[in-house]
Amino acid sequence: MSLCQNREGLPMNRREMLQRSGAGFGALALQAMMARNASAIPKAPPLLGSAKRVIFLFMHGGPSTVDLFDPKPLLARDTGKPFPFQAPRIVSHQSKNLLLKSPWNCQKHGESGSEVCELLPHIASIVDDLCFVRSMHCSNSRHGGALLELHTGSDTFTRPSMGSWINYGLGTENENLPGFITINPSGSHGGAGAWSSAFLPARYSGTRIGGKTAAEMKVPFIDNPLRDRAKQRREIDFLNSFNREYASLRGYDSELESRIASFELAFKMQMEIPGVQDLSGEPEHIKKLYGADVDPTKSFGEQCLTARRFSEAGVRFVQVTHRYWDSHGNLKKDHERLSAEMDKPVAGLISDLKQRGLLDETLVLWGGEFGRTPTAQGSDGRDHNPHGFTMFMAGGGIKPGTVYGTTDDYGYYAQENPVHFHDLHATILHMMGINHTDLTYPYAGRDFRLTDVEGKIITDLLA
Amino acid sequence: MGFASLLMEAGQDGWAYREVSDPELPEVRQTEWAREDLDYFVQARIEQEGFEPAKEASKRLLVRRAYFDLHGLPPSAEQVEAFLSDQSDKAWENLIESLLASPRYGERWGRHWLDVARYSDSNGMDEDIAHPSAWRYRDYVIESFNNDKPFNQFIIEQLAGDLLPAENLTQQRAQTLGLGFLSVGPKMLACDDPDKMRRDIVDEQMDTMGRAFLGMTIGCARCHDHKIDPISIEDYYGLAGVFMSTKTLTKYSVVAEFHEHDLTEKKHREMWAEVARLEESKNRKETPEDEKGRLVGEISRLKKDLPAPFKVMGVTEYPTQDVRVHLKGDYLTLGDLVPRGVPSAWTGGEKIEMPAEQSGRLELARWISSAKNPLTPRVIVNRLWRWHFGRGIVATPDNFGGLGEEPSHPKLLDHLASLFINSGWSVKSMHRVLMNSATYRQSASAAGDIVEKDPENQLLARWQRRRVESEVIRDSILFKSGRLNFEMGGSLVEVRPNKYIDRAPLQKQAQIPRRTVYLPVYRSTGYDDQKVFDAADPTAPDGNRRCSTVAGQALFLMNSELIHESSDHLASLVLEHPESERGEWLIRRVLDREATQDELLKGQEFLSEYPDRQEGWAAFARVLFASHEFMYVE
Repeated sequence: MSLCQNREGLPMNRREMLQRSGAGFGALALQAMMARNASAIPKAPPLLGSAKRVIFLFMHGGPSTVDLFDPKPLLARDTGKPFPFQAPRIVSHQSKNLLLKSPWNCQKHGESGSEVCELLPHIASIVDDLCFVRSMHCSNSRHGGALLELHTGSDTFTRPSMGSWINYGLGTENENLPGFITINPSGSHGGAGAWSSAFLPARYSGTRIGGKTAAEMKVPFIDNPLRDRAKQRREIDFLNSFNREYASLRGYDSELESRIASFELAFKMQMEIPGVQDLSGEPEHIKKLYGADVDPTKSFGEQCLTARRFSEAGVRFVQVTHRYWDSHGNLKKDHERLSAEMDKPVAGLISDLKQRGLLDETLVLWGGEFGRTPTAQGSDGRDHNPHGFTMFMAGGGIKPGTVYGTTDDYGYYAQENPVHFHDLHATILHMMGINHTDLTYPYAGRDFRLTDVEGKIITDLLA
Repeated sequence: MGFASLLMEAGQDGWAYREVSDPELPEVRQTEWAREDLDYFVQARIEQEGFEPAKEASKRLLVRRAYFDLHGLPPSAEQVEAFLSDQSDKAWENLIESLLASPRYGERWGRHWLDVARYSDSNGMDEDIAHPSAWRYRDYVIESFNNDKPFNQFIIEQLAGDLLPAENLTQQRAQTLGLGFLSVGPKMLACDDPDKMRRDIVDEQMDTMGRAFLGMTIGCARCHDHKIDPISIEDYYGLAGVFMSTKTLTKYSVVAEFHEHDLTEKKHREMWAEVARLEESKNRKETPEDEKGRLVGEISRLKKDLPAPFKVMGVTEYPTQDVRVHLKGDYLTLGDLVPRGVPSAWTGGEKIEMPAEQSGRLELARWISSAKNPLTPRVIVNRLWRWHFGRGIVATPDNFGGLGEEPSHPKLLDHLASLFINSGWSVKSMHRVLMNSATYRQSASAAGDIVEKDPENQLLARWQRRRVESEVIRDSILFKSGRLNFEMGGSLVEVRPNKYIDRAPLQKQAQIPRRTVYLPVYRSTGYDDQKVFDAADPTAPDGNRRCSTVAGQALFLMNSELIHESSDHLASLVLEHPESERGEWLIRRVLDREATQDELLKGQEFLSEYPDRQEGWAAFARVLFASHEFMYVE
């Protein structure tokens, strides 16, 4: 036996080893490979979950949700006056704390009457599918800290990303694809920390596919430079003859068998992934639905469409990042541009999932690492606000057409039913059929979990 | 009362805290097998379970094993032949000596230590700021291994090198370089709360120190008494006082900056100051053009042959302070003041005096590296064993605490720890002993049904076949294709200290054919080929890398630029040989052995599909690079 390790990072135990050595030789290579990589086998969720997959639309930089989804009449009335409550002890930038009214109007939409800003007409048109949480809050006032807290639950240490935890808990539904894909993520403010598996085995790590256009989004090493499948097949066959000869002289070794199988799997991935990413077969009306046909929505629209295709093909956790919402100044111009890029693709994705019957089992999450202050920075900007902001969700068993929680009269602090990132994580895991207190991993002397020692499932959000 | 006895009262074993003993050699039945004392401990256990050790591996396998193990590279065909033709009794010892004397050794074993030191050239985390001259720490580690620096000294320098007396600048530089150990950890650099930031940095430093040298998880006690290991919340804040009296950053506000020791020679420092002064007046608006021209000339004259400033990233002293207990880890709710100190449970009750005018880092470092401390020598020899054999005597090398594994051979561990202390903490002397042992020289094929009875090889009754590490894969491909550049040290990137790193050129840098240990490590990202083969994650100490088999590795071996460029290069070397010898030459070159007739026939058949000979041989080379045999040491 050669030395390799199971998913606990410790050498395999005897029982496991014997089970595998009983698995036969050669013919079962691919199965052996899948057995080694627990992620390749869909595991039955411990509870009955409503969601099978997650698509996370991450708004990097912190969109001003007080403008977009949480209108405040008093803010409009008192604009220019000092914020009447105590400002937080820690702030990202010192300011005079003068209130700044929203440059835009919000209106009620749909049967639910949820309020949405005039900058987001497409999202406004689907509010009856959405569940807004207006009372989100987190602990860190800086992009990096808050971003890592949102993705991993910790703004202090390196911890596995929620996509990694979900894959660790459930495995992927398609062994030819990674279980966690992040499209065009930001390299800054946490970088790989946001999609890293940290102490979980590396196979639960997110696969980053960079690039703004569909053509640039690539899984590492997926392109064969020979561009000739038959030649590559020949190489693998020749390689197999070497590897089988080597293995046959050494008695059964599941690791050597897995290695042989890994080339077959890689070969299949090479065939499958470009197909999933190829948008050319999508009908025009679908591309239009996402705005993937024209600017300013083309880039993000293609990314959202790609996300749907990955999700549909069985990728548990797909993230798409849209940036950069950090409007310390130029709030008006920048938020108008960003909204125009983001609105149609997001609404298109949710509508498309719905018409395909996928929305029930796919949880879509929209939000940034924090919101922005109702007080002004300069004359046309807002500072970071981790104390009260809005995120929204759709599908996967969330209660549609609802608004949950409130901020204070000016939109600074979460007030009624505050929801911390830990609670969001607990609720998402619950929807996936996982009890957040049971999904643990032993590391550095104790059992860790996504929610650490926190996390409350918000049952009011569930359908 | 020592901690071991406290634990035993509580019904726990506490083996790691007992004094290191020098156990007597056990009796064995087969008296011909052992070569080193350590073998008696292994053999006694094997015999007790009713088994026999495996036979000695062939010389051909052993030479490959030794090269991979000590250099992280396979031997060349000539090096294999030289060893095979050496018929002397001392052939193996001589081989080990020559491998230990080569600078390739420090590159390999330095990299092992860099895993534990969670080494990175950039901060990662929230703000990916370049570590100023962190590469000097990396080079220091490599050099320390090459020079066989006594490990206790290596420990002291890494924790308190700045506080050691130095007779001259050269010595001061050498001692200070180790301080990178405390500074290169991951930090949240854009924290709006500088107090929280300082405490988080201190926590990370203590935790890394604990895991690296003591096999302890200290971090738990930040919020409460450790539930399993002997560290109370008071102990934690006693240690924290030492680190709170230590300065890591010069600026704790957004975005922070690292402290550097300026160890430039005095006259050069003055010249640099002069350069700076001239540049300032050159840049002044009111300076006339002709004067500017004169200044440019003056500056370039001064800078000619002027060595670059010698700056070392590392911690320094702060005014000393004791720290209050932070209730539940929260620094806003404080408890009792705890004087700085080393937990008495660790020292067997002995009180380590902390100086009033210094942080106490030096006293802490001296205690950690003391032979009286039972943890450190056990932890270090177990690390060495892990890196040689693929599994530690304690299978959790970073955790010797209650949640870690117990040693499979406790007396063997103590035997090695006392050998290590008596050798003057010489790492090279441990390599000699371990590699000369009969245990090490065993074949991977075991006798009888032992593989089924002992699948994990806890009995050490055979060699454990294993895939080589990510760096070894890359370096070996470069080496065997004739591309590897053996230049040592220095920085491959122009980084601006304390500025954001530029990730854009990273994938291009990955193509530079230097040894992988010299490629810059960026914590926010990484090299796809390294990550897929389980390279150490620089966010936390890791003395026990994983070893996975995933499809991404196959994709790298099939499609990467590195593999295609290397196989092309090797194909052109193949074509320099007469046609009839090419297959044999290529197989010997890559796999360090003769080709079989069957392989040559199959190779011919494979090549017949390629009208373009270069293309065919490149494909053949790729197949060999991707083969089990190339990747596994046995």
